[in-house]
Amino acid sequence: MSFGLLTAVPKAGGHAQIPELLRGFATRLAVFLLLLALTFALPRLLPGDPVELLHSSDLMRELTAAEEQQLYRSMGLEGSWLDQFAGYMAAVLQGNLGYSIQHGAAVSQLLAHALPWTGLLILGAMPIALLIGVTAGIEAGRCPHGPFDLIATGLMTCLSSVPPFAWAILLVLVFGVMWPILPPAGAQSVMPPHGAVQRAIDIAWHAVLPMLSLALHEVARFYFLCRGEAVGLSSRPFIVNARARGLGGLRERIHYYGRNLLPAVLARLSDSVTGLVGTVVFVEIVFSYPGLGGLIYDAIGDRDYVLLQGAVLWLAAFVLLMNWLLDAVVSVLARRG
Amino acid sequence: MAFRASEAGHRKGDWRWWAALIALLSAVTFAGLFTSEPYRTSTDVLMPPSTQHWLGTNAVGQDVWTGLLLAAPNTVVIAFTSAFLALAIAVFFAMASAVGVPLVRAGILRTVDMFQTIPAILFLLLVAAWVQPGMLGIVLIIGLSAWQDDVRVIRAAVLRESTRENVQYVRHQGGSWLYCAIHHLIPAVWPLLVSLYLQATRHAVMKTAGLAFLGLTDPRLLTWGGMMQGAMDHLYGDAWRWLLVPPAVCLAMFLYLVLSLGKIAERQSMARSSVGP
Repeated sequence: MSFGLLTAVPKAGGHAQIPELLRGFATRLAVFLLLLALTFALPRLLPGDPVELLHSSDLMRELTAAEEQQLYRSMGLEGSWLDQFAGYMAAVLQGNLGYSIQHGAAVSQLLAHALPWTGLLILGAMPIALLIGVTAGIEAGRCPHGPFDLIATGLMTCLSSVPPFAWAILLVLVFGVMWPILPPAGAQSVMPPHGAVQRAIDIAWHAVLPMLSLALHEVARFYFLCRGEAVGLSSRPFIVNARARGLGGLRERIHYYGRNLLPAVLARLSDSVTGLVGTVVFVEIVFSYPGLGGLIYDAIGDRDYVLLQGAVLWLAAFVLLMNWLLDAVVSVLARRG
Repeated sequence: MAFRASEAGHRKGDWRWWAALIALLSAVTFAGLFTSEPYRTSTDVLMPPSTQHWLGTNAVGQDVWTGLLLAAPNTVVIAFTSAFLALAIAVFFAMASAVGVPLVRAGILRTVDMFQTIPAILFLLLVAAWVQPGMLGIVLIIGLSAWQDDVRVIRAAVLRESTRENVQYVRHQGGSWLYCAIHHLIPAVWPLLVSLYLQATRHAVMKTAGLAFLGLTDPRLLTWGGMMQGAMDHLYGDAWRWLLVPPAVCLAMFLYLVLSLGKIAERQSMARSSVGP
């Protein structure tokens, strides 16, 4: 890795965070290459190969030797490991992730259709989680062991001791089946309405439950973080003093607690993206949402490894890019003070 | 480990958790003995709970109550073993990065950074999809994908402990780092390890359930998460009441129990550090 080059960048003044950001990028690049190597090695290390696998499925007719040779070549399974790896890397870098026989489409095309939906859920869930988690955390930390703290902490403990997919199922059951006020599945109506505004409303309406169940999992993370910090703040003189002067309400919560919690919350944002991406796979499955998670589930069911690998690589690229960007934004904000 | 934690159990009010844990663990251990009925398919499909089938039957006529009992040891054993593996790896790396040469330290910490930037579920997905792991496989892949979050925490504690006189004295007398680790460092950070272990157990339960829910584990391996996946097809009828709720409740109860034990361990370690020198 190019650490020699990185240290050459002057560390003084406002440039201090640039080597840090570059190092973060190098780390993430290394992770991605590792994952790439894993997707290359796994199918080759394990017994059987994709062609044999196709033979054992009902998608394949009898093949002549020449046809089989052709198939091996098209799947990049010809030649030595080194040749294969070079070919694989070149193909991936060109954006060619292979062809999904089960879906009858190029993998990158399938993924390009799915990624916006996944992005929508994640970007929508993050503000919800932040808002609920931080507000409740401040409220609980203002009066530790008060009634609100007891109830909220108990609730958050329950929230974090149930796997995320179980919450998603519960929400489907309650708001989609038993008391059907929200659509329990899909990203839009079967017959999407005409007109951009109506369509946007339709999509937003379908996203409510998935976003909520995705956010629920992260709420507990921000809650415990903010509660802990707020408990510490509550005994600090400036807050004790402000309260003695009769300060309360929103001003106390936003300007006295909120501002002081900002660095801690911002520092956790990029972790939160990692957590959300881990959860979104399950949420999409429960809600039959057409994102990457849904594709991954179908790929597992169909034993469509080409699609599975492509989807995992895209999801990885998405999360790495997102948490790197967030780190960059946070460090710029930190510089502003 | 259990003995250490049970010291906290003598504290007022904490005995309830120990009673609950012992009840659960014995239930799990003897589950096989009490289930005289094998978990076999029958023509009584999707029967609601009755005197014959306490918790009804699933889509292929298997008795849900028997399934719950048979899945319990799998779920519990996988959780505790894979958490142990993860923690063992974390302790090893933490020790190595605390006492190793700068190159080793930098290498380990950078590797930790790498693993922390990406959700472990992506690795799990890739590997599990190819391997369709059974019990041992799950323990291995979950253990190998869950150590990274604990390394820095343990390392900080080890660094703090390694500056103490006892460790310095042993080093001056020619004791190796391995000797220090076994006789001085690990005992000193033991309470931390207990609470990290329980936390890792909780995460392992969730991950196992998640993998089973995705249909990525060996279909013959019965777990609560896998039973929940089977129930997903019956959300729109009545059958979810007896197919989904029982395994979900079992899973949540087990997780809550481990969480509560973790809190006890934490309280105990805080009490110790405030009393100790």
